[in-house]
Amino acid sequence: MVWGAWICLLSPLLSALLITLAGGSISRRTAGYAATISCFVAFAGALTAFIGLLGRDAEDRSVTSTAWTWLSAGSYRSGLEVLIDPLSTFMMLIVAGVGALIVAYSIGYMDGDDEERRYFAYMSLFVFSMLLLVQGGNLLLLLAGWGMVGLSSYLLIGFWHERPSAIAAAKKAFVMNAIGDATMALAFFLLIKEGNSLEFGILGGEFSSTTANLVALGLLGGAIAKSAQLPLHTWLPDAMEGPTPVSALIHAATMVTAGVYLIVRTHAIFEQAPTIADIAAGLGAATLLFAGLIALVQVDIKRVIAYSTMSQIGYMFLAAGIGSYGNSMFHLMTHAFFKALLFMAAGIVIHALAAEQDIRKMGGLRQLMPRVYWAFLIGALALVGIPPFAGFFSKDPIIAAALDAGSYGYVLWVAGLAGAFLTGVYTFRLLFLVFWGEPSPFVREHFHALKRDVPGLSMLSTVAVLAVLSAFGGWLQFTPFWEPVDTWLDPVAESLVNPSNTQELVTSILAVLLGAGGITVAWLMYGARRVAVPRFELAQRTLEHKFYVDELYDAAFYRPAVWTAHALRRWVEGPVIAETGRDLGDETRDVGGLVARLQTGLLRTYALAIASSVAVLAIVFVAVR
Amino acid sequence: MTTLLILLPMAAALLVWLLPLNHISAGSLALLAALAEIGVWIQMLARFDFGEGGLQFSQSWAWFDDLGVSYHVGVYGFSVWLIGMTSVVLAASIAYAFWAGRERSRAYMGLMLFLTGAIVGVFAAQDLLLFYAFFEAMLIPLYVLIGVWGGPGRMAATLKFVIYTMAGSLLMLAAVIAYGLSEGTFDLVKIGASSSDWIFLGFVVAFAIKAPLFPLHGWLPDAYRESSPEVAAVLSGVVSKAAAYGFLRIAVTKFPQPAQDFRVPILTLAAIGLVYGSLLAFRSPDLRGVIAYSSLAQMGLITMGVFAVNDLGLDGSVLQMVNHGLISATLFLLAGMIERRTLTGELGRLGGMARGRPALATMLMTTGVIALAVPLSSAFAGEFLILAGVFRHGWGWSVVGAVAIVLAAMYMLRLISAVLHRDVGSAVSDSALDLRPAELGVTVPLIACLLALSVWPAAITQHSFRGDRAQEDVAAEFR
Repeated sequence: MVWGAWICLLSPLLSALLITLAGGSISRRTAGYAATISCFVAFAGALTAFIGLLGRDAEDRSVTSTAWTWLSAGSYRSGLEVLIDPLSTFMMLIVAGVGALIVAYSIGYMDGDDEERRYFAYMSLFVFSMLLLVQGGNLLLLLAGWGMVGLSSYLLIGFWHERPSAIAAAKKAFVMNAIGDATMALAFFLLIKEGNSLEFGILGGEFSSTTANLVALGLLGGAIAKSAQLPLHTWLPDAMEGPTPVSALIHAATMVTAGVYLIVRTHAIFEQAPTIADIAAGLGAATLLFAGLIALVQVDIKRVIAYSTMSQIGYMFLAAGIGSYGNSMFHLMTHAFFKALLFMAAGIVIHALAAEQDIRKMGGLRQLMPRVYWAFLIGALALVGIPPFAGFFSKDPIIAAALDAGSYGYVLWVAGLAGAFLTGVYTFRLLFLVFWGEPSPFVREHFHALKRDVPGLSMLSTVAVLAVLSAFGGWLQFTPFWEPVDTWLDPVAESLVNPSNTQELVTSILAVLLGAGGITVAWLMYGARRVAVPRFELAQRTLEHKFYVDELYDAAFYRPAVWTAHALRRWVEGPVIAETGRDLGDETRDVGGLVARLQTGLLRTYALAIASSVAVLAIVFVAVR
Repeated sequence: MTTLLILLPMAAALLVWLLPLNHISAGSLALLAALAEIGVWIQMLARFDFGEGGLQFSQSWAWFDDLGVSYHVGVYGFSVWLIGMTSVVLAASIAYAFWAGRERSRAYMGLMLFLTGAIVGVFAAQDLLLFYAFFEAMLIPLYVLIGVWGGPGRMAATLKFVIYTMAGSLLMLAAVIAYGLSEGTFDLVKIGASSSDWIFLGFVVAFAIKAPLFPLHGWLPDAYRESSPEVAAVLSGVVSKAAAYGFLRIAVTKFPQPAQDFRVPILTLAAIGLVYGSLLAFRSPDLRGVIAYSSLAQMGLITMGVFAVNDLGLDGSVLQMVNHGLISATLFLLAGMIERRTLTGELGRLGGMARGRPALATMLMTTGVIALAVPLSSAFAGEFLILAGVFRHGWGWSVVGAVAIVLAAMYMLRLISAVLHRDVGSAVSDSALDLRPAELGVTVPLIACLLALSVWPAAITQHSFRGDRAQEDVAAEFR
């Protein structure tokens, strides 16, 4: 079991190192195979860890394995250790499993790119980092994984580094995440000061409410930066500059959900800081509406799905904030399935249309690629939460759980239901625009079907597997009838809210109806085109500018930083610091010149100097005596 | 063995100066001596008893008996790591100078070797006057290396450097004499703690100039820009650590009371330097400017760690001294390699170098992300400990540090992108090759050291102070 966990962690790292060191001596395809195999090995390792845990009693399911002391100072120390418990194995299975499928898909998607090897090295590095994040046995290692996924995300968003927009997006993602890293680090400093440890166990200790609030706030800062929640969300839509499998893996299925994992993992401190937990839930609810609204007007196929991701993670935050940990993690799992499916199906569309991503140019693809259409439809239905697809089983319990969270919960409940309606509209707007209708002139000109060779099959087969998971994966848990996921996670994080069966039932009915209503609206406007799309100039423009948040940050932070730096250069560094040195130099030279003039070379001046010196000395001696 | 570490490079320097060698044999001899130095250091590392701690390999001969001055050298756990970093960086610098070819190579190589011996001497001296002598001996070759082999503006740069460091040296000499005479001995191990504010400030200002700390860094941009890349590497990577070492070995250890009284002003200056350096690095128009100002910021951070005077801060600053030595040296050497190919360091004229140059891209990217302290890197470990340590004196210091970490991400990514990414710059031609095997031979070992430290940063933090109890060890004045 312990070995399984270590193999799971290290096999992608090994693949990254091998591909880097081998350089040009292996073929591009070999690099792809190496990365894929390493991820499947990691999945096998995760499976053995999972089976090992299954064989134990519920309260005995937590094993830590330490390799060596990673960092120490005085009595503080943090080991390089992996934690194997229900939560970490749950995440390991998702990360390694979905990761393996997406890396396999990449063999097809990236075929022909002349830097495929670099791509697969980065992908392996990412999977390693993400596994480190979920397996790390203490907060410091969690932060290490946290930063490393940020790094690999930066590398992969900027993979096509000749595009200025890709590089700008990559830097933006890294810097926004660095802000989150910094707030987390500050929370850790406080923990070290109070408890001299960064073990997970310390979070359950007794803290003053100020300390608990500050620590939870710092952790929440990291979580919202990584999970692209308000107000640190602006990097995620831009991150779509990366290759599509990257969006599927990092910006949908795994990394962006790390914030949810963090809250569940550190729930003990959030339970001591209920205000901060409420803020987390509130931010989640705000984000799910905010992103759902923006998704209505986006015209880039990947950006629509990206905003949908933000919105769905909003649901997970909502659940984690009110203490419905099992539902939160379960939605994380189904979302990984159907969102990866949507991205990868979209990737096939983009691939078939010569890298075009603008949905206004698409249309009629249902006839040209029926299998992809069906896969996308399954993903879309799962996303909207139509039974019996996956989202139905995981999203509705989250909305229902809000009903058991006091009066504040009713606000969250309404937001969740409104989000369900928005999800129906934007998802099926996308589907109808891309797949329905007659093929547009652009499509007729550029469409080329996938070949039945290794690259083509790698894409189609992995999409098929994810379609099956999106269709049936939700059956794993049907609240309140059977709840194996909740039961499995209970030893780590026991749920705080328990809605009644009536509440579950009413919520489910409402959510499904609203989702279906959203689909109908989308059908009327974009599918059957019976109703004209309503236009509100101001709302339209606000949404297209994403509520002007980017502009706001630019004016509030980036420009002041640039301006301060310029001002310092111009008014401090130049005139004060540099000139002081130069003045000192000039002064010294001048004094040197004066002194040099004393060396006249004339005997008589020297004689005079000596005589007068002796005279002065004599007078001094006499006077002092 | 300590004396061997000091004398080996100095003797090799004499040989290179005296023997009538051509530039190939002079370079080979120098490189061989530098590698032998690393070999001796590995011996020392293997034989140093970290469980015991304290001063080891100490050797002592009377010099001016009546004044209590002696030739007394020896190493503590933390000095072992600093000496190791010195020998590695100097060997890489000598190797690069050899490969790049410098005029009058016998003189050049001799000076580099002499510099090696002097810096090791600074880290090993256990007598105040001897420390001062090595400190001066370290500066003299630098004056010549910048003044003779530097770029077009070398004279002005050297003049500034000389004036600043001379002022610092005079202050230090005055402080050394006043301290030694008042205590009746110059022996660093025997000499008792002092509570004199003036002597303390003499030392602090002298070290602050050398580090440099804001606002005493007037010499830094020019010196780092005008010297050859390997000299800039040594200057920012190693020589600056002599000052940080002075803060640790003398300022906070021998002056516990003044160090506590002046903690707030010193931490303030260090914190200002940290943010100020990061901001200037962010807008610097050229490669060397970014690295130079990031160096200023890093020295501020290290100083914060030392003056936190607790386990976390002290361990962190020793780790960060080694990290920054390796990082800064690697970055300056890489900057030199880029400038060789493009004849410019202006960021506006570079770009697109990643395409077709995988080795250069990998090296710069790896060093860059370690420099910005991506978590899991050894630099992250060092900065984390320093800021956790200084947090105990007030959360404000750590908040400033956290802001600077975000700024570090901004300036380092800007540098990486400006060189590697986007459109091909006007100064980059297709004939600019990827790194040659010799250049890889210089950079790969440095990066390998950084990666090894990232896997096990506790190698340094657990083995720098007696029983990993830094605060107690400093309070006991390392006795």
